[in-house]
Amino acid sequence: MADCLLEFQDVHREFATPAGPSRPVLLGVDFAVERGASLAMVGRSGSGKSTLLHLAAGIDLPSRGEVRLAGRSLASLDDPVRSRLRRDHVGLVFQFFHLLPHLTVRDNVSLPGWIAGDPHAEVRARAEDLLAAVELGDRGDDLAGRLSGGQMQRVAICRALQRRPGLVLADEPTGNLDETVGARVMDLLVGLCADEGVGLLYVTHSREQASRADRVLRLRDGRLAAAEAPA
Amino acid sequence: MSGRLLGAMLAHWRQSRTLTVLTVLGVALGVGSVVCIQLINQGALAAFAGGMRAVSGEADLVVLGHGPDLDETIYREVLAHPDVRAAWPLVRAWAKVAGREDEFVDIVGVDVFAPVDYPVDVGGSDAALGGLADMLTDPGWIALTPEFAGELDLAVGDTFTVAVSDRLLTLSVGALVDFRRRAPLASRKLALMDIAQAQHLLDRGGHVDQIDVRIRRDRDLATAQRRLQDTLGPGVRVLSPEQRQESAAGLLAAFRLNLTALSLISVMVGVFLIFSAVHASLVRRRRQFGLLRSLGAERGQVLRVILLEAALLGVAGTLVGLPIGYGAAMLNVDTVSSTLTSIYLLDEIEQLRFPPLLVVVAVAVGLGGALLGALLPALDISRRDPVALLGAAGLPERIGRMAPGLALLGLGILLAVGIWYSAGGHELRTAGFVLAFFLMVSLPLMTPLVLRAVCSRIPPRGFGWRLGWRGLATRLQSTSFAVAALAVTVSMLVGITLLIGSFRATLDTWIARSLTADIYVTGASWQRDLGRTALSDTVRTRLAAHDAVEYVDLQRRREGRTDSGRPVRLIAIAREGRTDEHWSARTPLLAGDLDRLAGRLDDGAVVISEPLARGLDLAVGDSLRLATPDGPRARPIAGIAYDYASEHGVAYMAVPTLESMIGPVGVAAMALTLEPGRDPERVIDALRSELAGHALELRSNRRLRAEVVDIFDQTFAITRILQFMALVIAVCGVSLTLLIMARERATELALYRALGATRRQVFGLGLGEGTGLGALGLALGLGGGAALAAILILVINRDWFGWTIRFALPAGALLAQAVWIMGGAVLAAVYPALRASRTPASELTREDLL
Ligand SMILES: Nc1ncnc2c1ncn2[C@@H]1O[C@H](COP(=O)(O)OP(=O)(O)O)[C@@H](O)[C@H]1O
Ligand SMILES: [Mg+2]
Repeated sequence: MADCLLEFQDVHREFATPAGPSRPVLLGVDFAVERGASLAMVGRSGSGKSTLLHLAAGIDLPSRGEVRLAGRSLASLDDPVRSRLRRDHVGLVFQFFHLLPHLTVRDNVSLPGWIAGDPHAEVRARAEDLLAAVELGDRGDDLAGRLSGGQMQRVAICRALQRRPGLVLADEPTGNLDETVGARVMDLLVGLCADEGVGLLYVTHSREQASRADRVLRLRDGRLAAAEAPA
Repeated sequence: MSGRLLGAMLAHWRQSRTLTVLTVLGVALGVGSVVCIQLINQGALAAFAGGMRAVSGEADLVVLGHGPDLDETIYREVLAHPDVRAAWPLVRAWAKVAGREDEFVDIVGVDVFAPVDYPVDVGGSDAALGGLADMLTDPGWIALTPEFAGELDLAVGDTFTVAVSDRLLTLSVGALVDFRRRAPLASRKLALMDIAQAQHLLDRGGHVDQIDVRIRRDRDLATAQRRLQDTLGPGVRVLSPEQRQESAAGLLAAFRLNLTALSLISVMVGVFLIFSAVHASLVRRRRQFGLLRSLGAERGQVLRVILLEAALLGVAGTLVGLPIGYGAAMLNVDTVSSTLTSIYLLDEIEQLRFPPLLVVVAVAVGLGGALLGALLPALDISRRDPVALLGAAGLPERIGRMAPGLALLGLGILLAVGIWYSAGGHELRTAGFVLAFFLMVSLPLMTPLVLRAVCSRIPPRGFGWRLGWRGLATRLQSTSFAVAALAVTVSMLVGITLLIGSFRATLDTWIARSLTADIYVTGASWQRDLGRTALSDTVRTRLAAHDAVEYVDLQRRREGRTDSGRPVRLIAIAREGRTDEHWSARTPLLAGDLDRLAGRLDDGAVVISEPLARGLDLAVGDSLRLATPDGPRARPIAGIAYDYASEHGVAYMAVPTLESMIGPVGVAAMALTLEPGRDPERVIDALRSELAGHALELRSNRRLRAEVVDIFDQTFAITRILQFMALVIAVCGVSLTLLIMARERATELALYRALGATRRQVFGLGLGEGTGLGALGLALGLGGGAALAAILILVINRDWFGWTIRFALPAGALLAQAVWIMGGAVLAAVYPALRASRTPASELTREDLL
């Protein structure tokens, strides 16, 4: 599976609880995301979807099993290497946008480039291109705090794509948006990822949004299973 | 209910240990500086009072001269007064213990028949003074305190040598005298001697230093005092113990006030720290308060719980602050003692006592500061409605909206105080402190706007310090206080450094112009008695006749008073063999005609020092009214000299003028100008061996200058510890703020981590924020410090001391301070930055954080 950017092999994750036995959340998850493929993940609240995404991004480590990102087993790497791997291969989109309100829209999109130390001119040009692609080309100089929810999430998508990652992980990207706005944001996310050949793994509660992925996975009782085929 | 609530609330402080430690430390250091200064201030007065009680405890009144001594004949007049029940004379003198560095004994010559129970102990049994026949008959009989005898390794029966001026005397320890039984704070250096022996040994024939008086029991003290004064005339002063203590306090007033004001700056910085800590802790617990309120807790209850909590922090800070203050006072008591003895001619502080009242003051400062700091945030939280408190979004940062208004208020205050000052406020002696206080108040008010204006203008190019700095502007509520506290502290640091640097540069120039001789000669006891006892004639003639010496200037001096009671040092310096060669005719003049000065001095005029002229509002052409044994005498003022040797004042005059007022005065010091080409150090060595039988201090010009500068530095040494403590508080404030920011911004930091920033990068961001806070505090403080220096030099110094100080820029000292401050800020940022760098990226999905 050399062309798989992300692989989970028998991944377990349990959390220590203050008192009593630890709580198991993931109980042997196996799956892989091929380059350029899109995957939707559904499941009840609390079933461990965010936990799975954290593991995928190397933000969290499995209790057992192996998560491989770009061919490297995350558990064996130290934190700086994991951070670099994440910044080079993964783009993240969150339910709560997490833009920095005191920075301009363009600076928010540039942030991953800054962290990686990319050349300024390139970072800026890439930010402009992406903003134009999500129809926010004229808002680059506004403070991010001034935008509407839908606009913020479009900026967050640009941010995720800034460094041309191989994979975008999106945790309920439309969870905080109303249906029409959410649909529009989803269009942009799926569309942009497809255009740039970027793999996409997103969590959603909407059957309709899930149906836009190549595959749909359901997380239930700590395990991942293929859900109904896309319509 | 409040008790339970408080218990629940306090759990928060237990969990936020670093925050709590920093807050308590801030309060403690504020309390500590106040305690330190008050201990030293009170110690100075207590030492004086202790000495007075030990020696003159039985006296209702004391008769003193205007100068250091009194004609003996007055004793008979006092005794003859109908209101007087008993009176006994005293002679006082400082003698230097030979062979010991800086060890002096404070000799009290007493009348054996004085009705005073000195606790004298002859070999184990107490004896009444009257029974000590040895005291009268044994030459050099002296009683030392047990402590001092122990220090000198002397027992009853031993002899030792002391120097009074240039004369060496052999004394024999006849008894021990435990003055501390009479007054616990009495100096251990007090020693008893028979008065007739003392007069003889000290060359004080016909004079006494004071006469202690006991009034008849049936007389009213105040009336008796007035009547005695009337009888004795204006040539002497009749004072009650309280009046003597007041006059000592008066001497020290400026010194004490300045130190107190400085220590209050630390308290102010501490209050800022409390404010940020309480504010942050309340914001973090806002939901808890919202819950309480929605469960029916009243505003008053919430307010009470918060204030109680702050009070506990205040008390904890006070408990820690008391020993800190005591320790700081202990560390500084020696340098302050040097200042007391060399500048104010008072007793040194040998023991620090903790007066119970000071504990009350400390609690008031700690508790008051904590409550003051907590009040605004407490009111703020208790006034918000429960819904807003429970809401998911953070409380809006009000300070951002208020920034321009606050800055305007600050400017308005400065403007109003400026107008007040020029419209009449300057006539108040405390005006300078008012100006300084409002400057320190307006600086914090302007901080939020400056902070925002600077930080929001920084383009965040890349992930580094710029981004950190930019972030400072978004947490104005937290950052403003840290920057303001730092700015106030830096103002104080810079203001004082500019003052000291300017003063020092001015002093250097003055010394260079006024100390021109090659060698300065004094008796060995000069350091304490300042030339009270004259050099012997042999020394004088042999020095003047020495073949290496071109000419000699002779100094005669007496401590005196103006007729209004202000201490003034009377000095006549004339060339040996010439009465018309006045040193004072060569001194740098502020006003007066230098060409005609020598003639005017010959005619009886005086040159007065600048502080005296300013203090008494005297100008050239006015006359100086001096109190003399024969009543007030006026002398025309021919010039006003720059002079930095005495805080209270100096009057220079011709020898005949001096002696016409107070009788013959011996030569206390000599300045030798050598024949060209002579090496002063070699001449000093030669003179030492030629005059080996005399206890002389021979100082080269270079050494004397160095000593003057040392005394100057010692005077300001105490300010250094205050500066340091204020800086530590401010640095705690920076640390606290960054910790708070790291917590409040957990989501932001988690985002950086999620976007691939390494821990090291996040750590760097935190350090960048620390440097940002430091640099802004430094910049604001430099401005404030320059203004404060102007107030210190032009207003406070003028009103309280009266020196002309030329502005100088002590670049080296300022640079060193800037490095310290920035170093402190960066150091303060290390731990918070470390904490920030450990923020896990998974915090991002924890919704309760934002
Ligand atoms: N850091 C953590 N510590 C302890 N428990 C956690 C942690 N993160 C998640 N959990 C628990 O794991 C379970 C799954 O959480 P999550 O992955 O956020 O679910 P989902 O995103 O599917 O709603 C929940 O019960 C949650 O309480
Ligand atoms: Mg989730």
